[in-house]
Amino acid sequence: MFNFKKSFIKKSFNTSVIIVFLSSCSSMNITEETVYDGGIKTVQASVTKETTLDYESRAIFTNATVYFEFDNYNLTSKSIQTLKSAVTAMKDNSSIKITISGHADERGTREYNLALGQRRAESVKDYFALNGIDTSRLGVKSYGEERPLMSGSDEKSHAKNRRAEIN
Amino acid sequence: MKKITFIFLLMPHLVFAELILEITQGSEDPYSVAFLNFEGSRKITDQINDIVINDLKRTGEFKIYNNSQILSVPNNEEEIQYDEFKLLNIDFIISGAVVSEEKFNLSASYNIYDVRKEKKIRTSKVFGIPNKIRQLSHYISDGIYEEITGLQGVASTKILYVTELNKNDKSLFRLIVADADGANEQILLQSSEPIISPSWSPDSKEVAYVSFETGMAKVFIQNIASGKRDLVVTNSSQISSPSWSPNGKFLSLTMYQDGNAEIYILNLKNKNLTRLTKHYSIDTESSWSPNGSKIMFTSGRSGSPQLYEINLRKSNAQPKRITFEGNYNAKASYLSNGDGIIFVHRSKSKFQIALKYFNENFVRPLTESKLDESPSISPNGNVIVYAITENEMGLLAGVTLSGARFRLPAREGEVREPSWSGYLR
Repeated sequence: MFNFKKSFIKKSFNTSVIIVFLSSCSSMNITEETVYDGGIKTVQASVTKETTLDYESRAIFTNATVYFEFDNYNLTSKSIQTLKSAVTAMKDNSSIKITISGHADERGTREYNLALGQRRAESVKDYFALNGIDTSRLGVKSYGEERPLMSGSDEKSHAKNRRAEIN
Repeated sequence: MKKITFIFLLMPHLVFAELILEITQGSEDPYSVAFLNFEGSRKITDQINDIVINDLKRTGEFKIYNNSQILSVPNNEEEIQYDEFKLLNIDFIISGAVVSEEKFNLSASYNIYDVRKEKKIRTSKVFGIPNKIRQLSHYISDGIYEEITGLQGVASTKILYVTELNKNDKSLFRLIVADADGANEQILLQSSEPIISPSWSPDSKEVAYVSFETGMAKVFIQNIASGKRDLVVTNSSQISSPSWSPNGKFLSLTMYQDGNAEIYILNLKNKNLTRLTKHYSIDTESSWSPNGSKIMFTSGRSGSPQLYEINLRKSNAQPKRITFEGNYNAKASYLSNGDGIIFVHRSKSKFQIALKYFNENFVRPLTESKLDESPSISPNGNVIVYAITENEMGLLAGVTLSGARFRLPAREGEVREPSWSGYLR
């Protein structure tokens, strides 16, 4: 089944390896080399804190979440119901700015899922924009499959993870 | 969403979750090799014997006989009874010794004998230092491998990967570099936010990766030795999927500033960005052909993720679709000879690593589990390391050209996103 074409790669050596061929022993390889020792430095990421939340104005609609089908970023009718009340809240309180985070389930590749999560967040952003919300109030980002809500590998968990969160 | 920010203590020398190597299946037609125990103090030679034998076994191309499995153990070249080895169908004999053991110098020598030719075919010496016995041993393994197979060995190369540990509802992500056998793990970066898509520079001195530490996906380049790191592009949108050009001068990236994933090429010297794709669907996961003339990428333009290739040498070249098999083909990398690609392929409900040659119109599945991803090829083109999910845990697995399989499960936490270095020796 695993049938690679065998390709022989030309041997190449860097300067730390010295190959000496002795003339008296033509077919024997004699080598001397020194182990290369590159150092490694550990770095600690300084994580940016999210700006302090204004809980009073946010209490109107915290943690609104809409869900999507596999490999799809179209809003469902149920999602639109959820977003309608969010649009109303945005219109009632013009100081609110929101961040829409798109997510994907674990199936498929991480980078494609990052792009897919971003498209899901953009779908939500487009809905707000089409309903008269200024785009300067709408931030968009994706976590792809990196921040699942449920850790299982079943369809129930997958469905919960294919989402866009508004907060 | 509640965001938790916390600081982990820096413990670079702490011994932690090391990967454990398991060899699950070997080649059908291996070289038979008698590996005589190295001579010298047992404290050192026991380690060398273990590491070299494991390295050779992991290639899947060797059947190893130790001192107790041969008819008599020669003490020197003159004592080798080639007929005894021929009786056991042994092809090669390896002997070695620790030749100097001082405070700052640990050196070993080894010899390879061809049983059929009844003569010594190689004698080698490796100079190392006492606290780097593993590296010294990997150099010996690679010397043996290249003498017998004609291919450059990868025991002395490294693998980069990401781990995630979850404790008390908090996640700790680490970018780790380890020897190709999973040992000698060292942390390059730790963060409470996700890290994905690590990739080596062609000279293996730097790594590029995606970190979410600023609140969204951003691409960083980090120097391994100094720890110096930089954001490659500073703008307000997310950036991901870095891939180095073979000459190290360019980095292809996925940028989201157009409201959609599009591929750009960044000139690392003057920071100029050139847009490569323009389509309303997703374009991401770019990777360079070995000679740098083409880029393969994943695109959703046909309605499902498929692989497309774009020729950089033609002006206004249109992407050419490469995969037509099934409804999910993504994250490709070129074989080192440029004859084909390995990628993630969905077959029924399973995601597997697959191979496709450009002169064939079908896909060859290489792996058999359910959620396989992130394939990375060793620099000699002989081994593929990839991530699998088992019992809802991520771990690394490998498959070799000769059909050998191995796994690198971690003792603790999830392991994912492997990336193989270039040659370091």
